[in-house]
Amino acid sequence: MMNLQQVMPPKSTANGFGRRRGEREGGTRLESKSQSGKSNSGRVTTTVIGSKSGSCAVSSHDKLLYLASCLIGLSVEVQVKGGSVYAGIFHATSDEKDFGVILKMARLIKDGNFRGQKTVAEFVSKPPSKNFIIPSSELVQVIAKDVAVTRDGFANELQSDKQRELMIDSLISQTRHVEERELEPWIPDEDVPQLPELENIFDDPWNSKKWDQFETNETLFGVKTTFNEELYTTKLLRGPQTEELEKEAARIAREIAGEDTQDLHLAEERGSSIHENLGIDEETRFSSVYRGTGFDDSGYEEDEDIVLNTHNNETFGDSSGSVDQISTDFAIAKSSDGGQLSSSSFIVDEAQTSQSDGTGADLYCSEIPSRNFSTLDSESRVQENLLGECGGNNDAKDFVEKQPLPEDAQLPKSGDSQSSPNREKAGTIKVGRSANATPYSTSHVLSKGNEKTSSHGEPVDVAASCKAPGEPQSVNSRGRPGSSASSNSDRAAATSASSGPGLSPSSSMGSLSSEKSTLNPYAKEFKLNPNAKSFTPSQASARPLSPVADNAFYHPPNVSAVPHMHGLPVGFGMGPSLAAQQPVIYPQIAPMQSPQTYYHPHGPQYGQQMLVGQSRPVFYLPNYQPEMPYKGRDY
Amino acid sequence: MEGQVGGSGEEFAVGCLLSIKTTLGDEFDGQVMAFDRFTNMLVIQEGLKSGPRRNIRLLNANYIKDFSFLGQADDPLDPKKCFLDLSRLQAREHLAVRQAEADAQRIGVGVTTEAQNIFDALSKTLPVRWDKTVIVVMNEVRVSSPYLPESVSGGTAAANERVKKVLEFERKRLQARGSSQG
Repeated sequence: MMNLQQVMPPKSTANGFGRRRGEREGGTRLESKSQSGKSNSGRVTTTVIGSKSGSCAVSSHDKLLYLASCLIGLSVEVQVKGGSVYAGIFHATSDEKDFGVILKMARLIKDGNFRGQKTVAEFVSKPPSKNFIIPSSELVQVIAKDVAVTRDGFANELQSDKQRELMIDSLISQTRHVEERELEPWIPDEDVPQLPELENIFDDPWNSKKWDQFETNETLFGVKTTFNEELYTTKLLRGPQTEELEKEAARIAREIAGEDTQDLHLAEERGSSIHENLGIDEETRFSSVYRGTGFDDSGYEEDEDIVLNTHNNETFGDSSGSVDQISTDFAIAKSSDGGQLSSSSFIVDEAQTSQSDGTGADLYCSEIPSRNFSTLDSESRVQENLLGECGGNNDAKDFVEKQPLPEDAQLPKSGDSQSSPNREKAGTIKVGRSANATPYSTSHVLSKGNEKTSSHGEPVDVAASCKAPGEPQSVNSRGRPGSSASSNSDRAAATSASSGPGLSPSSSMGSLSSEKSTLNPYAKEFKLNPNAKSFTPSQASARPLSPVADNAFYHPPNVSAVPHMHGLPVGFGMGPSLAAQQPVIYPQIAPMQSPQTYYHPHGPQYGQQMLVGQSRPVFYLPNYQPEMPYKGRDY
Repeated sequence: MEGQVGGSGEEFAVGCLLSIKTTLGDEFDGQVMAFDRFTNMLVIQEGLKSGPRRNIRLLNANYIKDFSFLGQADDPLDPKKCFLDLSRLQAREHLAVRQAEADAQRIGVGVTTEAQNIFDALSKTLPVRWDKTVIVVMNEVRVSSPYLPESVSGGTAAANERVKKVLEFERKRLQARGSSQG
């Protein structure tokens, strides 16, 4: 029996080449597409033209060979004379006069002896034959399915082969018999209590009978619930206007939901997909966090800045926007409570002034934190941030005067009148800073205020006014007008009321922010005047907004070092350590709701609990090291 | 039985559509792809269509009992598209043989269907192989005929137990399935 030879594709042109034996004999010219090194190892054959078989240019024998070759490796069934059928892998055929077949791994699947039997008895009697030869005398037919005979077919086969390769595991683990069983509908056990309503309730989304789990639970198991929704969420006011309100709310919701947005994720949620750009991969579309250009952690500041600045602007009028970072925080604090901010800012100013190192901002910030934990409870963090920010804004502020910050609030040098109210507060307020206030980043808020007033010159004044211990008063007076001049006179007033030396935070901040880099050259050094009168805000000027209740002051735990406290727009507070030398002048503004002026006797020494003369709980900041250079917001 | 070769060569011209009955009782229709009179082999493509994959029969014309001519069409095999990639063929064969051998491992020789079923069921979760008519699980536990929990022997106590359990479960399952089908 000959081994299968390489078959050459039938060619339409004859060319007598190597005849071997007979017309149809011989191996065939191999034409293998692949890299078979054995090309032409087979015998070369001739194509016979005009064979007896007719007009076909290709010898029929060749065709047979070709087709037989196509079967190599395929699973075929061979029927033999007796009727038995064997299945196996086609391995070879003979190329002689007779056509015999060799199969590998052949097994009997149909026994000719048991006619009529479709499949072989499942009783397997012997293992498959490694090589099974079927001589031509026995061969009846060879049946093969899904044979690829042309180029298309080969490609097709390759494809499905690959697919099949991947499935090998599942194929392997598959049972030989895929037995299916008759499915029966599930019948619940008899002894399980059935809730008749269950079917209705869950199947019908529009069921009017509302499902009350508690009720059911109680019914079934006697379990009484203590669940009270209002413990976990805001109590809903239901009244005659409920429906109206609901409609309104729904309208607003729809509006919001229907808004256009550039944010991919939001757009996805709202169903308005903007996927014209097919380059967006799935991760971007559904998963990743959007990072805008130039995004970094300080981005928070930017946003905050924007928000806060606007708030600031509203409250205090625009000041130079130089101070951005800190302003953010401050702004936050500020926005939450304009009045508060003023105090905060005020404090910031103080801080700044107290700071003696070159970076005004730093100082400022550092001061602030301990002090300016304003009543903005909620904002405490913000304030912290702000304070932190403060430090960042070094550029602005190289304070000319680097005096240690006295306990009293130092009037931010913001020349704005707004600051003045703050300044009022403090006999000991160091006003000198005010001039420098602007540069403080933290004084963004303040600067904001300043912006509007646009009085950079003013800071000087204020500063000057702040200088003298006695000045605060004057400052105050000055501040007052200033503040009123500013757009936020209200606030200013309030601020002043609350914050003593009418340094509205905004104003002071404003000034700080407006002046990017230089300290107020005119600012005089602030010297604490122990005898200075304490500021008593008028009742009328109580700030309208005091989000932080009296008892809502922040009491930070005693922390040793809080670097990021720089930016804290502490509403007010007194560093406990401050009390050391100078009399701390506690704001004695009884009705004051907003943070009170912070007098900082020493430098920025925050840390212990500050005792305010009043019954109010006092903010105190954890130990703050003023000298700590603030390197930008870190939180 | 040697039947007479039907007709002359022309009758088996390439492209003919024929309906054939074999002496063994097979009946089918197809189109002639090739006919080699020397070996008397007729290659028929089943069905009346040509596609990338076809069902092919190599029939020994001696066993044609009867046939009828259905029509004449073109050569279903386009010579221009015919190539043979020997290495691919060989690779295919090797792969097929490997698979077949693996399959063969799983079939018990001389075992009942039931036993084979049990083997298959066990093989889903445990490594099993045949040792003549004994199912060897995890190379230590042996389950011999009649493949009842009692027939489980060998291996550690834990393994033994496990095999027993699995065996029981599978038997039940097979029975349930069998009875529902039966």
